[in-house]
Amino acid sequence: MKRLRVLLADDHSVMRSGLRALLERQQNLEVVGEADNGRDAVSLSSSLSPDVVVMDVAMPVLNGIEAAKSILKQTPSTCIVMLSMHSDESYVMRSLNAGARGYLLKDSAASELLSALDAVSRGKSFFSSAVRKLLAEDYIRVLRQKGIVDSYELLTAREREILQLLAEGKTNKEVASDLNISPYTVETHRGHILEKLGLHTPAELILYAVRKGIIH
Amino acid sequence: MLSHSASNGDSRHAALASPPPLPPRRIGPRTAMILGFCALLGLMAFLYFDSIHTLNQLEAASARVRQQFLSRENTLRDVRFSLYESGNILREYALLNTDPATRDSYLRQLHELRGSANSTIEACLASLPHEQKPPFEKLADELSSYWLLAERIFVASPSAKTALSLPNLALAQHATVLSLTREVSTINEIDFREAEREISGAFAQTRHRIQVVGSVAFLLGVLLTASTILYVSRLEQHAREKYEESLRSERELKELSKRLVDAQEQERRAIARELHDQVGQSLTALLMDVQNISDASQPPPSFTDGLRKIKILAEECVAEVRNMALLLRPSMLDDLGLIAALQWQGREASRRYGLVVDIIDDHFADNLPEEHRTCVYRIVQEAIHNCVKHAHAHHLRVVVEDDSDRLILAIEDDGVGFDARRHRGMGFLGMHERVTRLGGVFQVDSAPGRGTRLHVELPLATPTRAEGVAS
Repeated sequence: MKRLRVLLADDHSVMRSGLRALLERQQNLEVVGEADNGRDAVSLSSSLSPDVVVMDVAMPVLNGIEAAKSILKQTPSTCIVMLSMHSDESYVMRSLNAGARGYLLKDSAASELLSALDAVSRGKSFFSSAVRKLLAEDYIRVLRQKGIVDSYELLTAREREILQLLAEGKTNKEVASDLNISPYTVETHRGHILEKLGLHTPAELILYAVRKGIIH
Repeated sequence: MLSHSASNGDSRHAALASPPPLPPRRIGPRTAMILGFCALLGLMAFLYFDSIHTLNQLEAASARVRQQFLSRENTLRDVRFSLYESGNILREYALLNTDPATRDSYLRQLHELRGSANSTIEACLASLPHEQKPPFEKLADELSSYWLLAERIFVASPSAKTALSLPNLALAQHATVLSLTREVSTINEIDFREAEREISGAFAQTRHRIQVVGSVAFLLGVLLTASTILYVSRLEQHAREKYEESLRSERELKELSKRLVDAQEQERRAIARELHDQVGQSLTALLMDVQNISDASQPPPSFTDGLRKIKILAEECVAEVRNMALLLRPSMLDDLGLIAALQWQGREASRRYGLVVDIIDDHFADNLPEEHRTCVYRIVQEAIHNCVKHAHAHHLRVVVEDDSDRLILAIEDDGVGFDARRHRGMGFLGMHERVTRLGGVFQVDSAPGRGTRLHVELPLATPTRAEGVAS
């Protein structure tokens, strides 16, 4: 079985060594390199072409979000898991916009990193449970405070189904074959979903799904 | 890490220059000048009234003297005339005839002349002052002797006339009186000249007085003018110095408060970084080690329990440290920009206090210079604090807009409001200070029961905007 090649990028060496110790106990994983700033992370990922980059959001020289953008521009197939101290949605949103597939809080990294690597390597998204909880709570509270009807109620059963599949990271084509319909129909449904929910980008769609607790 | 605050603390004292001592209060010059002006005016009034009065007096005196002289001259003329006429009568009577009828007619004429001469001289005597009477009295005496002699010529018998040689006596007396009138006339003239001299003496005295008082008034005027100019120019200089001093101290105060605000911000940032990066990361690493140990082997249950407790404790510490760091200075203000930081703040307020915060940034580029970003962030932070603490608002609306040369921040809540004309808390002072420092305008609009609106405008210098959020 092919081992998953991981690059660690974090400016704190204690953090890196902790993560490395955690990962090196796993048979199916291999830490191929370490970077202590964003720019090194970009150059190392281009020379080592890792499968997954575990990247700290706040790093000197070039921050993790910008580094993620650069890496994905070079090799779009790289999976990026952001590592952050912040559970706030501003960071989650920026990370998703940059193309990250996972968002992991540092204080739960020890227990969740392996699940996160597993999820993103299978093409799915991953969010720390604390982040999911917070986003969901915020979503519900805002609805309640503002007295707005949950727009999710506007979706049809088929649209909800498609929303979940898209949010899990599947392409239009994959969704189409899963549901046995044409990719064009999926695209039409997708347009309706975005319009009904007031969303604009794939990142927003994923964030919405996390808030609603549709994906785990 | 506290080196920031220490270095700022030193320079803070340097800016606190002690104010110069106030000049002692002066009452002297002003009072002296008022008194001087009063004296000058009094002197001028005195000069005016005194001159007018003296001139009037002199004019009256001169007229009186002239009048007296003329009336005495008239009296003398009348006396002379009556002598002359009576002489003619006597002569006619002696030469022509002595019948009784003609004699009575002559006598009657003589009586008339005597009466008119007597009344004139008596009137003159009555009008004369005491010391000038003697010559006229003498004249009156001699004149009445003359009249007696003249009348006796008519009433005496011819023998008696011849025996007494009355006509000769009468003629002699006539001559005496005539010469007396001339003497009196001379005296009268001398008196007149004397009076004239006195009047011109008085004139000279008055002129002298006017000269002296006028010179004194002029000198006083010159003195007062000079001292007034001096005083006014000194006052002017004093006022200018005061004004410059107040400008300087205002500048110093601004500089001081700028340093204070900067120092506070730097300190917060340093503490936040310290908490977050050092303490937070170390605790996180600790957590990871604990996880590694608990994963590694087959430890006894008590060991696993202890580890779990340590883990819970460390997790709590991490959360606490993170919150403290964020409250001091949210790293997203530097990492993600103003709007992300404001939205986070809004969500925090919503989570903790149930306050709904809407951040509206439709016309905002979010590339402000660091100082402006911090300013807006702190103002919104303070506004949220006010809403929760004082206004008991449910909803806060924050609008951030910018165009080419300015930033507009409008904050509006639906709280209880307050009387903005009377109360201004420290929070508003702090906001005002931050805005003023950046050359902006800060307005508070509120009334009890009508919520609170804040309006902030900050000028944006185009070149500095390039150093906005480093992406």
